[in-house]
Amino acid sequence: MGSSPRPAGAGPDLFGEVTAADVAARVRDTLEGVFDAVREIRDDAAALLTSVTAAGRQPETTDLAELRPGLQSRLTRLGLVSGAGFVAAPKLLADVPAWLEWWQIGSGGEVRPLLLDLDPEHSAYSDYTHWDWFALARDTGRRAVAGPYVDYLCSDEYSLTLSVPVTVDGRFMGVAAADVYLSHFEAAVMPVMQRLPAPAFLVNARGRVAASTCADYLTGALFKGPDFAAVPDGPADGVAHGGRRLRPCGGIPLILVT
Amino acid sequence: MTRDFGGARQGVFAPVDSQARVDAVVRRLGDAIELGLLADGEQLPGESDLATRLGVSTVTLREALMALRQQGLVTTRRGRGGGSFVTVPEGPAEERLRGLLIGWSTEELRDLGDHWAAVSGATARLAAHRTEPDDLVQLGRSVEQLAAAVEPPARSRVHGRFHVELAAAAQSARLTREAIALQTEVGALLSLVLADDECLKDVCDRHRAVICALQDGADDRARTLAEACVRLCVGRLVELRLATPGSADGSPP
Repeated sequence: MGSSPRPAGAGPDLFGEVTAADVAARVRDTLEGVFDAVREIRDDAAALLTSVTAAGRQPETTDLAELRPGLQSRLTRLGLVSGAGFVAAPKLLADVPAWLEWWQIGSGGEVRPLLLDLDPEHSAYSDYTHWDWFALARDTGRRAVAGPYVDYLCSDEYSLTLSVPVTVDGRFMGVAAADVYLSHFEAAVMPVMQRLPAPAFLVNARGRVAASTCADYLTGALFKGPDFAAVPDGPADGVAHGGRRLRPCGGIPLILVT
Repeated sequence: MTRDFGGARQGVFAPVDSQARVDAVVRRLGDAIELGLLADGEQLPGESDLATRLGVSTVTLREALMALRQQGLVTTRRGRGGGSFVTVPEGPAEERLRGLLIGWSTEELRDLGDHWAAVSGATARLAAHRTEPDDLVQLGRSVEQLAAAVEPPARSRVHGRFHVELAAAAQSARLTREAIALQTEVGALLSLVLADDECLKDVCDRHRAVICALQDGADDRARTLAEACVRLCVGRLVELRLATPGSADGSPP
């Protein structure tokens, strides 16, 4: 998306300057909307696994088919989400060692399952437990935003993956997650970022740029130096770093650098 | 459950762009079977569907399927429940792989090496700027898995994953797709190279050196090392190709 010049005489509502707080709120609202859907998937998965376990059975892949209508409707409804599902912890299911109940929406709007080879005898990509979207949610017990990263497992697209752990009676069962392609995320946040008085960019907790109006720090670049970990729990108007300001985006682990 | 290597498998049925379409289809599907992207007993899509997806005429596809049947890689059954099925033939894998290698002229191998070195070198250079410690963990894990892998096909799979991870560390979706496509093409042949323990050790050491260069942010060194490693592998392939008896240089099998 190129930056378009502001038409003369445009009203402040559409084209006026915004503040960093406005941008942080837009980022927060955009991704909280996705997290709402991920939490619904988590609740569906947890309820399903609870009822199967209560019946005295170990869950199987066929049980997860119950999640499909919900996943399909969320993929169709949420333009920002390109893939969504439940990823089982290894050995959770009785019939397979590992499983992704994962659905994707194509450019033509068709919803289809992701069918991976999870047999280590045949695939070098069978172990998914080291990916951030799985490991962060499992290890912290909290929701996570993984990426931006090239998702060569599911889509081959540059993506963000939002995930939350699924637990039943305190036991980790896997993660519920949704993929947001960077191009879609950019389309959601760039219009408001471009209305800031000066260039700015968003970085993840490791300093990787997720969206930017600053030609020196394009998406995928690393912004090295600051201690980003302290920013999300710090003051809402952020902390100073060099000549810049690092500002949290609500509870979303992305940081706005202005 | 359908076998899938993510994008790699999609590449199997993507349109072929070579003029020599029969050979291109034979090579694409043959390599995919050798690589395990297509499984023993798996049914191929119907002829017209497959032809559309590969971007070839049905006649071309039939000729290609004929060649694959002759190589024992595909069985076609008629009638109800019929169709074309992948068959992984008996016999030493190395012998069959050498048969695959004969399908490549030294010029094609050299060109493949140029393409692969360009992609690998460029991804290493970019990754040196854009890599954070967590990317290095995955690459390091792949090298150690590669060093520990016993069977040549497993070595080739993990080796391919290293190159895909390297491209992903460069934060480029396009270069990652390119790396996946290259590994789909070269992966089966590379198990011939990586079957040699000494060569495997050499490749692992070179991969470790690339990781060190990434860690140091040394972009030129990372590129030089990555390119040299690709040239080593493709050089071995050319040597094997030249040593394969009964195959005049450059001529089709």
